[in-house]
Amino acid sequence: MRSRHVTRVADYEDDGLEALYEKRNRKAALLKAQEEELQVDPADALPIKTLDGKLQYRIAKKRRSEEKNDDIECASGDKDDDIVRLTKAERREKLKKSKKEAKKLAKQENELDIHAGKLHAEVLEKVQEELSAEEIFAGKKMKLAEIGMALLEDPESNIRSLKELLNICNDKDRNIVKLALMSLLAVFKDIIPGYRIRSPTEKELAMTVSKQVKKMRFYEYTLLSSYKAYLLKLLKLEKQSFFHQVAVRCMCTLLDAVPHFNFRESLLASIVKNISSSDDVIRKLCCDTIKSLFTNEGKHGGQATLEAVRLIADHVKLNDCQLHPDSINVFLSLKFDEDLGKSKRMEDDDKVKKKKRWQNQEGSKQLKGNDKKKSRQELMAKTREEVDADFKAVSFSLDAVEQRRMQSETLSAVFETYFRILKYSMDPSASRPKINAASLAGGVGPHPLLASCLDGLGKFSHLIDLDFMGDLMGCLKKLAGFSEQHQDSGASDQSSLSVTERLQCCIVAFRVMRSNLDALNVDLQDYFVQLYNLILEYRPDRDQGQVLAEALKTMLWEGRQHNMHRAAAFIKRLASFSLSFGSAEAMAALVTLKHLLQKNSKCRNLLENDAGGGSLSGLVVKYQPEATDPNLSGALASVLWELSLLMNHYNPSISSMAVSISSMANLNPDQNPVSLYAASPLQAFVDFSIERELLKPVGKPLSLNQKRKRENREGFSAFSPDQIQLVGSFINEDRVKKKLEDHFKLLRDIRENERFRSELNCTKWSIDLYEEYERQRK
Amino acid sequence: MAKKLGKKARKFAKKNLQSVLKRRRKLKSTFKRRAPPRRVGQGDGSQEDEKMKAEQNIEENAEAVSLGGSASVDYLENLFGGDDEDLDEDVSESDGYLSEDPDCPYISESERENDSSEESGQKDLTRKNKEIVLELVEQKKKLDSLIEKEPDFSSFLEKCRHDMEISRREELYSDEEDDTSFPDGVGDTDNKVLTSPTIDVWCWLVKEEPNGPALRNLLSGFQFACRYGIDSDEVMAGRIQSREVFSKILMFLLCEADGIFRRMLGISDSLSKVNLLKVKNKPEWKTASPLIKSYLRSSLYLLNQVTDNQILNFVLSQLRASVVFFSAFPSIARRLIKISVHLWATGDQSLSSSSFLIIHDIASQSPSDYVDMCLTKTYKSFIASSKFVDDTNLKHIDFLVNSLVELYSLEIEKSYERALTSLQQLASILRQAYKTKKKEELRKIHNWQYINCLKLWVKFITCNFRDNDFQQLIVCLIQVITAVAHLFHGPRYLPLRLKCVQMLNELSLSCGVFIPIASLLFDSLDYRELSSMNEASGIRMNFPSLLKVPKQLLKSQEFQTECILSVVELLSAHFGQWSYHISFPELATIPLILLKRFYAKTSIEGLRRPVKRLIDQVEQNRDFIQRKRDEVSFSPNDQQSVESFLQFEKSGSNASFTQYYASILQSSRARNTVGLK
Repeated sequence: MRSRHVTRVADYEDDGLEALYEKRNRKAALLKAQEEELQVDPADALPIKTLDGKLQYRIAKKRRSEEKNDDIECASGDKDDDIVRLTKAERREKLKKSKKEAKKLAKQENELDIHAGKLHAEVLEKVQEELSAEEIFAGKKMKLAEIGMALLEDPESNIRSLKELLNICNDKDRNIVKLALMSLLAVFKDIIPGYRIRSPTEKELAMTVSKQVKKMRFYEYTLLSSYKAYLLKLLKLEKQSFFHQVAVRCMCTLLDAVPHFNFRESLLASIVKNISSSDDVIRKLCCDTIKSLFTNEGKHGGQATLEAVRLIADHVKLNDCQLHPDSINVFLSLKFDEDLGKSKRMEDDDKVKKKKRWQNQEGSKQLKGNDKKKSRQELMAKTREEVDADFKAVSFSLDAVEQRRMQSETLSAVFETYFRILKYSMDPSASRPKINAASLAGGVGPHPLLASCLDGLGKFSHLIDLDFMGDLMGCLKKLAGFSEQHQDSGASDQSSLSVTERLQCCIVAFRVMRSNLDALNVDLQDYFVQLYNLILEYRPDRDQGQVLAEALKTMLWEGRQHNMHRAAAFIKRLASFSLSFGSAEAMAALVTLKHLLQKNSKCRNLLENDAGGGSLSGLVVKYQPEATDPNLSGALASVLWELSLLMNHYNPSISSMAVSISSMANLNPDQNPVSLYAASPLQAFVDFSIERELLKPVGKPLSLNQKRKRENREGFSAFSPDQIQLVGSFINEDRVKKKLEDHFKLLRDIRENERFRSELNCTKWSIDLYEEYERQRK
Repeated sequence: MAKKLGKKARKFAKKNLQSVLKRRRKLKSTFKRRAPPRRVGQGDGSQEDEKMKAEQNIEENAEAVSLGGSASVDYLENLFGGDDEDLDEDVSESDGYLSEDPDCPYISESERENDSSEESGQKDLTRKNKEIVLELVEQKKKLDSLIEKEPDFSSFLEKCRHDMEISRREELYSDEEDDTSFPDGVGDTDNKVLTSPTIDVWCWLVKEEPNGPALRNLLSGFQFACRYGIDSDEVMAGRIQSREVFSKILMFLLCEADGIFRRMLGISDSLSKVNLLKVKNKPEWKTASPLIKSYLRSSLYLLNQVTDNQILNFVLSQLRASVVFFSAFPSIARRLIKISVHLWATGDQSLSSSSFLIIHDIASQSPSDYVDMCLTKTYKSFIASSKFVDDTNLKHIDFLVNSLVELYSLEIEKSYERALTSLQQLASILRQAYKTKKKEELRKIHNWQYINCLKLWVKFITCNFRDNDFQQLIVCLIQVITAVAHLFHGPRYLPLRLKCVQMLNELSLSCGVFIPIASLLFDSLDYRELSSMNEASGIRMNFPSLLKVPKQLLKSQEFQTECILSVVELLSAHFGQWSYHISFPELATIPLILLKRFYAKTSIEGLRRPVKRLIDQVEQNRDFIQRKRDEVSFSPNDQQSVESFLQFEKSGSNASFTQYYASILQSSRARNTVGLK
């Protein structure tokens, strides 16, 4: 069984090895998956328990429970029940082939053993002389397995073996190194304690301690030093392309499993470095690890989060914002507990004072809540306190103050990153020299991070510090209108933001404003102007319609329009918009439009042909469709004639929507109509998107409704009569006759040709037959 | 029946062909001896014999032609010696048979013909034939000398040949279809060669008396002519020796047969499918039906055989008159459909149209199961032949689409279901493509078959919308087309998108529904001015025959010009349709803004001019509508008034925008024809 494995490995060429390795990994995962199921069976319990997804145990297990292994082998392909026979044959073949190799390997082995200075080294040495290469490999694997097993069974007494394992990592055989790395990973994952090891101070060392403590100290020391050596090894190997993925995988797994343990910083640094890797697998691995770090803060008490965020911030800074968006998207999985420490606030007033910005915000929040809410909150806080106390007893969570400090620092790091990206996007000169860096990021555009940055700002808008608010709004305003100015000047520049990004800027600005309504009183007029003009810039396939719909939702559908002129301008523009764009966009626009009409009863004048728009028209008497400022468009003077064309729309939902909107004219100003389609613009957009429309069942064809039976079947519908009459005039009988004669002649010639040929063949055949005849006669 | 025919023929013969009669009397006894065993359905055996006999006959003639008859006698006897007695016996029953004039010098005539009419194209074959004959003579001499040397050899040879002959025959006839056997009574054959005077006489006779026996003979001659060269049926081939006879028979029957049959049956020129049943009950039908069947079947042979377009065209146009008869014989009708569908899909313009007329007539005049068959067959071959489109076959595809629409318009209800099924299929392909966005899925849509299929349904709807309520179909079709247009964006796929927009415009125009297409065209207006304008590559792009622009042309000026001109054309079509609608100003708002922006940015005069013209026209029309609109007092929700708005002006077609659109169309057509050249 053992040798079989070796054969398989030796079989593969270098590049094949990696595939094999992966296959094994998968197998290991499979085993792991089976673990639970297997554990149930007491007979198998022992070997399987030791497995724990570790390679050496898999091998060990292989030895012990071949049967199970064979099952897995079968699944993996080429081996079957008659493996043993096959293997023998293979082995014989290999034996010849790899004699040379065997010697070399044996030598290595010798070196290694001398290094290790083990007791059984001499014995091994002798034995290895006789072993073939694959057996050496198998032996190494066995050794790995045995050491690992021993370590897991009794870590304290076998802790020295870690060194041995580490030595194997220096093996010349790359596959053995990989296996060793994985084994170590498994071992460390298992034996690393749930606390951070602090190396004893000199004073402590000087003190006489019990044997127990000594042993413990030695254990911890060995563990720590091996772990450090292992990490160093990983960091070194990570730079080699062959080991890159394994090393990163090991580091990610370690960070995920033991984020609390020593040397986390170096792990983190290395992972963050790879977070924007061009290799999709590695990037995903790193991002997932970071995300799980963020979501499972209980494991490390939040410190790792802070470190990670800071590292990412530095990373972004170093790379001039030219990274893959994924590296910023991890921030979205950050969780900020707003209630954190709120209950403590009363007691630790002085401490809270330090965090003025928090207080400001939370204070405002607090004020909003009414008494009922307050009492509920208190109740909640009380229960939470109890739970926290329990939780603290079992876990090593820090106290709330410390946590809040960390959280605020994390936040500031996050926002620092975001602002850096914003600033960077605003600087038109900055993005150009970094073309190669941009291409590295996957060709997302000149501002790869902007979109996810805006996403993040939108998400955490309620946490933004008021001090930054003004700057932020300024930034967003500039960004939203940035390329507008450029377009006006006619320059075609690469750095201008896309329509989607600009819309996102507007959305974020609104989100920020909305979540800080009481604290700020900034006029959002500029953003409305932006949106008003951006609607024209929208191109269905280039820009994301969802963002537009979201912008309509955030800026127009939610909230209330106080400015009647503006509302009217948007109503008019949206109506015109829906005349030019597809169903999804039109529906989103119409939903918004209807909502605006409902909210602004005076705008319903637009539905009626009231000469001159009456007294409402204000400054501008005549509608100016090309005006860039909604306030100056004079839309109140217009009539929504669009609706009458929209009633002819091919899509029945849109035409009925248009009908329902136009019927709003008959309502009283205060009366609100029953909503036909109550979804938000975003929902409407999704509902009427092309994909969705195509999915709609066509249903059984209704029996055709014939408006009138066609009486005259003589005429043609698709052809014009002369097109058909043309046919007859082409035929000239004389020519046809001539052609027929030619045709005949040709046929006759062909026929004669055939006949002559066959006759010729026949004659030749007869002559040939003569020979046979002669022979027969004799 | 045969007797009757015979009597009349005899009368004629007495009058006109005294010498023939003499010979006939001599032969009659042998005819009768052979006749009794020959019954319906025994075609196989007799054909076999006929074949043998014909081979010999021809052999004789050919030998006479080439070798002067002397050297070959031995050989021939060797070959067919055993069949010798059969030769005389193997004659079919035919009372009214007219034997040929024995005085007519056939052999020399055909030879003369051969020499005089050799044309350059056929010289090759004739020369080759001569070479072969020379070699043949040589080989034969050798054989003869061998036989002389060893007399026993000849009997050995004989035996071998006989064996081989038998095995060959078995092979040949074991799998012969019954279908090709002769219809009852018409397959009367003789080894007599038909001559031109005979045919003249027959034609005269038939014209005089359609029910006479001459028709029968003529039809059998027609059959020989049609099957000439199809298979190794040498009997028939042998009976026609001159091209004059060949063409005469064919021309006469093709031109006259339909009229003759109609006269026989006593029916008028227009015969519907209902009347056919009545005709079938007439006593005359019994007499005529085998003749008609023979005629129709033979013509199909001819259609299969001939490759020349003009002949095919002629045959088809003559057959068209007798389409109604086809429906009486289902198997023949099916074959006709098959042949004509093939010719329709692959033939040239005139051939294609005459084949279409046949299909159309079958579908409209025959029972409905033929309609189904026609629809299925034509649809399939349309799909198959629309795989590739280039400048040369654009017109043909259009023709195919139009004719399919014609056929589908025959029975709207059936076609409606077919259209829905086809559209659902198209939609499901599209759905898959949207889901996976895989290259192979996209390729299923990004091909001519898909687009032509869409084109077909668009055309179908536009032609039949007036009379039917296609609401469901239209919505589905529009969704599919817009989805296709959105699926392929980017300048490379612009031609495909333009096609989609054009289809939407057509649908919108014919169905009167509003389809917003403007946003599909805005992309083209956004294209930045090329920084490094490539010089004119000299390759003219013809958008109608493209789906995807070749990469190397993407940056060419031609492409940009073509883009803008197409956009102008499609936008003006869109505007033209709604140019009298009350909301025209609003419809034009956004496109106008973008057009103006484009105009301001471009510096190429060739692009500026048409855009400027469009802007001016649209503004003019917008102002016009606005002025008119200010005069009315109704509101948008007053649908009736909205609909009647400017209806009067609309009916008069001298508005400036309509004229403008007409001129745009004209220039685009001119552009495309230039591109074709």
